[in-house]
Amino acid sequence: MDVKTASDLVPWARTEGQALIVGVKGEIDLHNSPELRTEVLDLIVKHPSLRVVMDLTLVPYMDSSACAVLVEALRRVRAGGGRVFLVGLQPRVKSLLEIARLGSIFVIAADEAAALAVK
Amino acid sequence: MNVLRLETTSDPALLAPIRRAIEAFCESSGFSECAVCETGLCVNEALANIMRHAYAGAKNRPVLLEANFVEGLLQITLRDWGNGKDPSAAPPKIDPLTPGGLGLVCLRSMMDEMTYTPQPDGMVLTMKRRKK
Repeated sequence: MDVKTASDLVPWARTEGQALIVGVKGEIDLHNSPELRTEVLDLIVKHPSLRVVMDLTLVPYMDSSACAVLVEALRRVRAGGGRVFLVGLQPRVKSLLEIARLGSIFVIAADEAAALAVK
Repeated sequence: MNVLRLETTSDPALLAPIRRAIEAFCESSGFSECAVCETGLCVNEALANIMRHAYAGAKNRPVLLEANFVEGLLQITLRDWGNGKDPSAAPPKIDPLTPGGLGLVCLRSMMDEMTYTPQPDGMVLTMKRRKK
């Protein structure tokens, strides 16, 4: 089911079973990460899910402030017993997550289908 | 000798254009794609630290970026007129789930040298990276 979003940084979101799938778009830095934070946390609160999939296919660049948003989302989802999956990582995003030692904390999957298939 | 000088402000809306400017500078100096991206990220993180910490979120304070590339060595300095606190004096980031400190992790791991030099009225950050 499609979910209404309120930010261009999150052009689409939908629920599928017990999963919330969130599409993120654009370069994320300190300028717009507060907007991303508001939108993502709002979606997580309104659509509690055991599996949250963040589709970053359309994110060519992000900085540490965007990482902080992902970590905050992870904490919220984990508190409800769920997991956060990151899919579609572009090289710069993947590199930053590795430096931040977050690559093993999130579940990284190639794409949405792979994330939804993980037991 | 390749030189770049940007007199800018602490507005986060300027992060992306400044990052692109330093990436273009690195590219024109012959750095690899990986080095260009890493240097852009380091400048982004260093500037974001100035905006958040040295200037406590004020958007209209001055920042001076100077970069030069001489004999294979890139040197970037960032001058601010903020609170003068040395970010590198903070305890190292240990838990990846604890907020903060990731910018410094990037600077330390991606630059060959990184030095904060306190000034009577602010701070100078010097970053150096040699072309491999």
